[in-house]
Amino acid sequence: MFRWRKKLSVGLTIGLSLVLSLVLIPTLTAQEIEPVTILMPAPFADSTRDLVKDFNQKYEKSIHLDVIRGPLETEAISDLAISSLLLGDTPFDALLMDITWLPKYARAGWLEALDNGFDESDINDLTNGAQLGNNYQGVLYRWPLVADIGLLFWRTDLMEKPPSTPDELVAVSRNLQNNKKVPWGYVWQGRQYEGLSCVYLEMIDGFGGNWFNPDRGTFGLDQKPGVNAAQWLTDLIQEGISPEAVTNYAESETLQSFKSGDSAFMRNWPYAWAELQKEDSRVRGKVGISTMVAAPGASPASTVGSWGFSLLKGSKHKEAVIEAFKFLTSKESQLKMFEEYGYTPTLKSIYEDPIMLEKYPYIIELYKALKVGRMRPETPVYAQLSDVLQRNLSESLTQELTAKISMKNATSTSEQIMLAAGGLMK
Amino acid sequence: MTVVYLLIPAFLLLASVFGLPLLRYAWLSFHADSVLTGLQPIANDGANWLRLMHDQRYWQDLIQTLRFAFASVGFELLLGLAIALLLHQPMRKRGLIRSAALIPWALPTTVMALGWRWIFNTPYGPIDQFTSLSGISLNILGNPSFAWIALVYADVWKTTPFVALILLAGLQSIPNDLYEACTLEGASSFTCFRKITLPLLKPYLGLAMTFRLAQAFGVFDLVQVMTGGGPASSTESLALYAYWNALRFLDFGYSATIMIASFVLLSTIVAFGWWLMILLNQRGSMAVTE
Repeated sequence: MFRWRKKLSVGLTIGLSLVLSLVLIPTLTAQEIEPVTILMPAPFADSTRDLVKDFNQKYEKSIHLDVIRGPLETEAISDLAISSLLLGDTPFDALLMDITWLPKYARAGWLEALDNGFDESDINDLTNGAQLGNNYQGVLYRWPLVADIGLLFWRTDLMEKPPSTPDELVAVSRNLQNNKKVPWGYVWQGRQYEGLSCVYLEMIDGFGGNWFNPDRGTFGLDQKPGVNAAQWLTDLIQEGISPEAVTNYAESETLQSFKSGDSAFMRNWPYAWAELQKEDSRVRGKVGISTMVAAPGASPASTVGSWGFSLLKGSKHKEAVIEAFKFLTSKESQLKMFEEYGYTPTLKSIYEDPIMLEKYPYIIELYKALKVGRMRPETPVYAQLSDVLQRNLSESLTQELTAKISMKNATSTSEQIMLAAGGLMK
Repeated sequence: MTVVYLLIPAFLLLASVFGLPLLRYAWLSFHADSVLTGLQPIANDGANWLRLMHDQRYWQDLIQTLRFAFASVGFELLLGLAIALLLHQPMRKRGLIRSAALIPWALPTTVMALGWRWIFNTPYGPIDQFTSLSGISLNILGNPSFAWIALVYADVWKTTPFVALILLAGLQSIPNDLYEACTLEGASSFTCFRKITLPLLKPYLGLAMTFRLAQAFGVFDLVQVMTGGGPASSTESLALYAYWNALRFLDFGYSATIMIASFVLLSTIVAFGWWLMILLNQRGSMAVTE
């Protein structure tokens, strides 16, 4: 009897406290602090930590920003985001997105337009490169946090000025190799992955063509510039300008080769600059950057690869989220991200600031590259198109097929993909 | 009769964990469900299956996956048997040595795959550093004819301990008096191995083979990290292709088709392996009674 009572009293206590907490917690926190959660890849979550702290101090009474530190790799973060978006109820309000995901995400209906948050003059403040890749079908869905652009790194101790044409690059490399200055001329991302598409885009545009013409819906891969680009890259390996192993090189392997002083040129992103100035770099202080080489008569081209914020549909704190976007992408934040972590700024005013130019003379080259920034095809089926290009180009690079045939195959498969996509879109 | 009723909870659990997803995928494989359909399933009269029939990439990946699976499982069984025999010998600190042999198996695949990617790296990996002493640079991971061998090598390194463990358990189940009788009859140790160890180990060999074939057929993380399926798609596996379709292309209909087709094929292979095992098992017990 006694025991039974004890059980009852324990049960009642637990039950009561549960009911009380359900009633009390919401009323106690009713000061309307809006929680905002953003999913970011690990490196960005780390580098924005101080900014987030500042934001939470400034908006102490109204918004609390929380960053979810996602995986390190670009594609792993996409997998995580997509898995939760597919379930319909995401635990985050916003997502830091890579430039190539936007059409796919927008088309899937996962994104909320940002047109109310940012206007024409905000967009005009951005550099050309940072203006690209934020819209889908004319609607703004993404606001850039950092710009990113493909660059040619060269050795200032081996030459006076960087080459400007593909032939020149080969000639300089061959000369340096013959004089035993460097084992290799040029290293780039030749592994069958997204980086290879970026390398190729710069070359096909540099030879005066284009990968995809959005107005006509046609592919230029099997046209002369497309084949020339594939042939040039294949020849680099054949003629020993690039190591044969470049066919499995991603950014890290390329950086390793250039950093140890084994090559005269490297294609990479701006993050490499800071890496090359570190203690363990053998080329510290001997590195210059430039835009990618282009054939005579064609304009040089740089692949744009920026990261930006997107607001997810279903977020209950839209205005607070946009407030957070504005804070994290403000000029002050951009300067902090650049000076502390070397992230490429998105705002024109930073590149045109004389004090900045004096302090960091190399940013003029970043600015130049951003002006000739090019987009990879902007379509929801981009991942398929890029995959087809990578497969076929890899076949050319490894001598399984000739450049001409591989690019012909790439074109016909790409056309089929677009046809299937068009058929379903109607 | 009550025994059957007691099995119901377990059966329901299995059905909900394995059965339902399979049925859902089988259903999805007859629908277009991609980013272009707004992620809504639309019946498409078996168009996915027609596409699969003509999809050269699927068949190429199938051959590559089978090549990988049989090569790696074959080596693992041979090496695993050798290691198991070694670990079965009485020696000092046997417990310590046995646990040490398991270390590769305990490592997460992604971690060890990243390690192997750098070991095979040309020119900074130790393998290339070694071969280049004699002036040869193999460029294994960058060559479409050899890259898959590097994958087999890494897989064998990682999963041989697992095979060895199963076989070691098998060796321990063989009663010692059989060997005593064998030596008493004056048979050589090789004859004892051939007449006693091997026949009695057959069910364990079959078990290890079935487990490993099923795993190797679904290889994903190793390939994803070491080569990403390249160069020239020479190492792409079926699991990788299905993953690309689902999460990169957001084409769930076709991804489901690839998975169901692979599931049917894999089940056939495993069923065949199982049948082979039973067959060998019968023969094995006969050999002992002879």
